[in-house]
Amino acid sequence: MKEIIAVVRMNKVSDTKRALIGVGAAGFTALKVMGRGRLVEDKTVIAERRKTLLALSRSDEHNTEKIVTEFLDGTRLFPRRMFTVLAHDQDVPKFIKAIVDANKTEYKVGDGKIFVVPVMDAVRVRTKESGDAAI
Amino acid sequence: MIMVRAIIRPDKKDAILYELSSAGFNAATVYDVVGRGKQKGIKFGDVIYDEIPKSLIMLVVNDEDKDDVLEVILQHAKVGENGSFGDGKIFVSSIDEVYTVSSGAAGL
Repeated sequence: MKEIIAVVRMNKVSDTKRALIGVGAAGFTALKVMGRGRLVEDKTVIAERRKTLLALSRSDEHNTEKIVTEFLDGTRLFPRRMFTVLAHDQDVPKFIKAIVDANKTEYKVGDGKIFVVPVMDAVRVRTKESGDAAI
Repeated sequence: MIMVRAIIRPDKKDAILYELSSAGFNAATVYDVVGRGKQKGIKFGDVIYDEIPKSLIMLVVNDEDKDDVLEVILQHAKVGENGSFGDGKIFVSSIDEVYTVSSGAAGL
């Protein structure tokens, strides 16, 4: 039994839900979280977006440069949605593939992370079933 | 890999995140929680507050970085020289696998 914790973009929530239902995920819990990832070391990855954002901003704002830099290099916390899904061991690769496929974007950064955590036991409150039957 | 979940005072959140980033652990997920601890909440007269707001910082790091992360959090999460009730708790659990969505690759 495994718990899959996936942190994904807010605008990919419906896609993720649809993908999870598609591969037969019984149920899931979703939380609003704030998160940040690794610092961007390779600046060429974000160069294109930086240019777009700078073009959008008004030139008379003196700290635009600083804000855009902070916005892209990964030091700020951004809103994300955290899904936790319980899965049987053999379903884990299937679920991960579904989540990855649903959340991939062309931006190369900020698409999220998936963690697979071992779970010792689960109990269904209604019937007191435990173990694999409770998923 | 291990997952560190630290329940800390909300007003210490920014400081800890800054220090973690300086120590090389930039990636983190943060959300707000409510909870109570061993002291059964706070009692003022007849009123008991047992849903005390806290922040939860969740980060996943390599096994060998565990001590560094704990050191940073423990050092900056406490109030006063010796710490106080309500400074929080840190939970460490194991992680089987990690995937990055943008590349689909396994690993941090």
